[in-house]
Amino acid sequence: MEQNGKLTVLDPHGQPTGIFGRRLEAQSNPRAILDPFEQPSGELKPMSMAPRLAALNGKTVYLVETGFAGSFEFMQELQNWFSRNMPTVKTVLRHKRGTMFTDDPELWAEMKSSGADAAILGVGG
Amino acid sequence: MEDEVGIPTAPLVTARFADFVERNARARGAPLRFGFPPYPVMGMSRDVLRRYIEGADPITSKPLMQEVIDALTAPLTEREKHPTIVRKPRRPRWLAPDTEENLYREFVESGWTDGLPIVLPTEKRVAEMLTGTDHAPDEIVGQMIITTHQEKMEYTVEKVAAIAVMAGARPEHFPVILALAASQEPSMPSSTTSWGRMMVVNGPIRNEISMNCGTAALSPFNLANSVIGRAWTLMSINFGDARAGENFMATFGHNSNYNNMCFGENEELNVFEPFHVQKGFRPDESVVSLFRGWNVLNFGLGPAKEMAHVIATFGSMGTSITFVVDPLVAKNLRAEGFKTKQDACKWIVENSKVPAGHYWEGQMQSGFAAGLARQGIEPFASWAKLPKDAPIAPRHSPEDINILVVGGETNPMWITTDFTYTRSVSIDKWRPKCGIRRDAQPLRMPVPVTCKDGTCGIPVATPTTEPVTAAN
Repeated sequence: MEQNGKLTVLDPHGQPTGIFGRRLEAQSNPRAILDPFEQPSGELKPMSMAPRLAALNGKTVYLVETGFAGSFEFMQELQNWFSRNMPTVKTVLRHKRGTMFTDDPELWAEMKSSGADAAILGVGG
Repeated sequence: MEDEVGIPTAPLVTARFADFVERNARARGAPLRFGFPPYPVMGMSRDVLRRYIEGADPITSKPLMQEVIDALTAPLTEREKHPTIVRKPRRPRWLAPDTEENLYREFVESGWTDGLPIVLPTEKRVAEMLTGTDHAPDEIVGQMIITTHQEKMEYTVEKVAAIAVMAGARPEHFPVILALAASQEPSMPSSTTSWGRMMVVNGPIRNEISMNCGTAALSPFNLANSVIGRAWTLMSINFGDARAGENFMATFGHNSNYNNMCFGENEELNVFEPFHVQKGFRPDESVVSLFRGWNVLNFGLGPAKEMAHVIATFGSMGTSITFVVDPLVAKNLRAEGFKTKQDACKWIVENSKVPAGHYWEGQMQSGFAAGLARQGIEPFASWAKLPKDAPIAPRHSPEDINILVVGGETNPMWITTDFTYTRSVSIDKWRPKCGIRRDAQPLRMPVPVTCKDGTCGIPVATPTTEPVTAAN
């Protein structure tokens, strides 16, 4: 359609749907990264934040290594920092299973059942 | 962790990705308390990592570890107790009418193009493109994202038609472009590692739309190869809402994305099964198959032994290899005694071993595979325990090796890529029942010359032509 030298053209951007890619399962093939068929989808709900601790003294903090290159060494140094600076904090260094993109519900369940008080996840990117 | 497990968490992300993750968290209604150590972490010494931890967050200038402690202990704010999801506004179907010059500027400046000239998707042009399929314009084809950290975008047949127009396609190309859209795979998945893509078309449609499967098939000499491959990236930019540095984080990107190495397999000169038949499709089905990887090593020569040698030393994060071979190479492999592509792949895998020590010296292996080995994931865990001189096959399964046959038999060469096969999609679903919708005079670039009569395409002098004589 052309009127007065003006054109009407389609907006090429798609319509957002409010559906997000979600986590990959721990068993997912590493090649499933960004594969939309490998990612369950669903309507997103706002996340609830967990209650905060009054202090870290005497608490158990899980240090979860994400799998990015260098993150294992980084988290080891983080553990060393707690030993030097906050020795009353018990730290548990764990690898997340699979790749940096996968979920690890077994580890989350273990943390919950073993009484983890807090977690530090690192390091992304 | 916060929501489902109920454990207060301090996520640490390198400062280079601060904007990216904070935007992602806001969009998801997840008010996470990030801390940002400096970038990069990979390859840094213990001393540097220690200084990162003891130092300041470069984004906030606050001591990093104090931020971590605060993240776990500071009481939740009202905003954190009641987070909201920020959704992108819905967009109208049409842009405001304007001049061609202004609209072209809007497309370029909005980041809706690949930087090359586009055809504006006017109502008339889109309607014409829609004649290339029987599917309704408002039928939803799929959703696309370039990273898991963003809202998926839904697109219809009409939206795909707009993309096809922009790419310079004709209605005859539309079924292939719709099949690409139906794959829901972006041509530019966002990764700092800068992915490239490749796509190969099999079946009758290659010839119906005059794709180039022969001489110079991977060069810009064929309209169908060019516009179909380009359309995949234009839909990834628009449907995937790709924005460099915001959600597309490839450190230098990949030049293949301009047309995604789009070609047809040369089934006519291929002595092996066509690729789509290997994947379970009938020979008379038209199919597009997609690949994803990083490296393209041009110009390999020689028998299967040489192919095994090259992939043994071809460092890569992935485990797959896709050889793109001239039909003469396929014939040579057959002459070597391999009855099928799979036979050749099996032999190549078994004969491409490297010492374990050599494998683990690679940066990708020390960074990526070492993490999998530490978690006990096979085969990496076993490989990590081997002595340095123990032989291992980095591409450990014949299914990890693909062979695609293309080219004009001007050189028995092959290209080695570390591209992984991701998916094949049937094109026939999108064909009109009355057949491919060709223009009255189909638009074609010159066909590569194949000499059949000894003239090699050189015009033959006629009796009326003045003879060429030496200068006096």
